[in-house]
Formats: sequence, structure tokens, C-alpha cells
Amino acid sequence: MLLRLNIADNRPLHEQVAGAVRRAIAEGECGPGDRLPSARELSQALGVNANTVLRGLRALRDEGLLEFRRGRGVTVAGGADGRSALLERVRELVADGARLGYGRADLIEMIKEAQ
Amino acid sequence: MWGTAAWAAGILALLVLLPPAARKGFGEQLATHWNASGEPNGSQPLWAVVLVPAAIWIVLVAVAVFWRAARRWRGAVLVSCGVLLAGVQVSIVRANLSHTDWHDADPVTVGAVVTVVAAVAAGLVGVLMSGRRASSAARGQGPRMDIPAGERRVWLASTGNRWLYLLAAVIGVGASAAPLIGFGGPAAPMWLLTVPLLFASVSVLACSSVSVRVTERGMDVAFGPLGWPVRRWDAADIEWARAENRTPAQVGGWGYRLSGLGTTVMLRSGACLVVRAKGKDFAVSVDDAERGAALLNSLAGARTEQH
Repeated sequence: MLLRLNIADNRPLHEQVAGAVRRAIAEGECGPGDRLPSARELSQALGVNANTVLRGLRALRDEGLLEFRRGRGVTVAGGADGRSALLERVRELVADGARLGYGRADLIEMIKEAQ
Repeated sequence: MWGTAAWAAGILALLVLLPPAARKGFGEQLATHWNASGEPNGSQPLWAVVLVPAAIWIVLVAVAVFWRAARRWRGAVLVSCGVLLAGVQVSIVRANLSHTDWHDADPVTVGAVVTVVAAVAAGLVGVLMSGRRASSAARGQGPRMDIPAGERRVWLASTGNRWLYLLAAVIGVGASAAPLIGFGGPAAPMWLLTVPLLFASVSVLACSSVSVRVTERGMDVAFGPLGWPVRRWDAADIEWARAENRTPAQVGGWGYRLSGLGTTVMLRSGACLVVRAKGKDFAVSVDDAERGAALLNSLAGARTEQH
């Protein structure tokens, strides 16, 4: 699988790692049920501490994109590809909103009003 | 190709036609073997002197032409073996000339020494020629990918072969069972069997799975479930990378293979990522090899442009 990292990104490293994996799932680099490279391997490939990688992966598990299974490592959750793409857009939305001066609460209101 | 055919036919003609052409000088049997002091001590009839080297030559040519894994050595082997067989044949015919009894045949020491030296020299020339051709022909090959500014890309892939896992497990069980069943009797030290078996088990296990990383530093290939040992290639050393379909039959089996195609880590037949660095080829059977090769080429290209 191909991982893309934004060098200019000034978010914390674990969020960048999560972003790269989220994008890979959204773009079909790895499909539901596929096994992710181990945290150690990802850390060596990305040049990031293994604990940082794990923190990023845990965040993705909490979003419902990954499943941690004993003995099988980390796998991509069912339906994660669509959800991942959507989550990526939500993140962009939040970022755009922040740039234009709209907070999360404003965005939630907008989403509620949107039909 | 035509050069090979002409060489093969020329040597064959010499092997077959030379002894009958000089037939008048021979008796029934020809001396074909000599002892260390130069006296003949073995003989064969004329037909065997014609057919045996011709048969060896035909088999050799067939193997060299049809065995794809050996293609890199084809030229060297054919040239040096052709010189060797021709030299032997000429020496035998010369030693038997004008001797009706094979026991009186002349010694062949000088002919044998000249033949061996010529064969080795011809083989070396063949190796040098084939090596040079291989390294210049393939320059600048392989796919590329555009990496947008401000983006860093890494490529990860892995493969495993469950039959090799199983084999490693079976050998491992054998290693631990050997002392239990007391193989070799109580007098023989157990480690004589256990240690080599354990070593074999670990070796097979290390070759049963592989994970490949392509980063800005270059390529890392980690073997085995523990990710150790690791072979590394610096991005600056890589001449080119590309994807290529290979089968176990081509490279001589599964696992870590050395053949005429270079080193191949063969875990399943199909797409392999092939890399040339420092004039040597390395291939590993992983999925999505095309993009791995593209990233590697782009990273290596970016490096050389900067310098």
C-alpha cells in the first residue's frame, strides 16, 4: 500500500499518521478485512516512533475504521472505505469552517438545517 | 542467437568429422585415457570417440538454450565447454595418428594443458562480455510516478507462503523430537541432529514471509515473521526498478533463490519487484510491484537530479 504524508502539515504526528492511513483506506489502498502493516513496520517506514503510530491507529479504531484483533493484528473494518472517505470530508469541512470563522457548533447547526 | 547456432554447429562438426577424416592412421581402438606419466591406459572404438563428445555437446547446448535461469551464463559456458571438447578431441586424434595399436599412442600432456588454459580463458572472456551487455542494455527502464511538492510517500507490501511456514514448523518439530526419541543411540551427541535441524527450521521460517518498504532512504526487505534479517538498498545506489512476472520454475524453486536472473525471493509466482543496484539484480514477489517500482524510480531519480 502507498501512504501519502503531508510534509507541510503542522498537526501533531499521531494525527498525521492517522490521516495518512485514513486516506489510504478512502482511496482503496487497503480494503475491508485487509491486514494493516504492523505498527513497528509503519513506524520504520514513516520514521515515526512506534508509540506515536499506535496512538494514531487507536484513534482510527475509535472512529470505527480499524479493528484490533489478538493474533491477527490490525485489520480494516467492514465498510471502512466509505466511512473513511466521509470522515475525510468532515475533517476538511471542520478545517474550512475554522478558517472562515465558524465553530463546530455552527457547523452542526448548518448540518441540521441542511436537507 | 545466430552466433550461438553457428558456434554450436561448428563445434559439433569438428567433434563428429575430425576422427573419421583421420581414420587411416588409426587401428580398431583409439586411446582415450592416459595415466599421470603420459601412458595410454584406456581405449574406445572410433564410433564412441565420435558419438560421446557429440552427445555431451548436444545436451549442453540444449540445456544452455532452453534453461532460462541459466541465460546469463549461456555464452561463457558454451564458449568454454566448446573449446574444451574440441581441444580434447584434437588431442586424442593427434595422439592416435599413425599408431595402429592404441597402447603405442603418444602422450597428450601438452594438449591437455593447452586445452584447459584455453577453455578457462574463453570462459572468462564470455563472462566479461555477458556481464557488460547485461548492465548497459537495461538502463533507464521502469515506471515512474509524480510526487507532488510537499508530499512524502512510502510504499509497503508483504507476502507470505504458508507451505514454507508449514515446512519450517515440521522441521522444528523434528528438531525438538529428535532428542526425545533418542535418534542415533545414546552414544551419539543429540545436538549433532538437533542443531542442524533447528538451523534449517529457522532458515526456512526466515524465507517464508517477506515485507518490503520503499521510503526516501531506499528499499528495505525484511525477512521472516520477526522482520529480521533485513536487506537494505540505498536510494542513491538503485539504477532502476520495475515489475516483472516470474515463476518458481524460472528461478529454481521457492524461497531465497540465486539464479541467472540474480537473487529472487520467490514466495508465489507472478508479479515481482525487480531492482538493479550496483550491477546486481534483486527480485521479490510482492503484490502491487508496479507502483513500488515507480516510487523507487522516482525517489532514485529525484536524488540524482539534486546532486
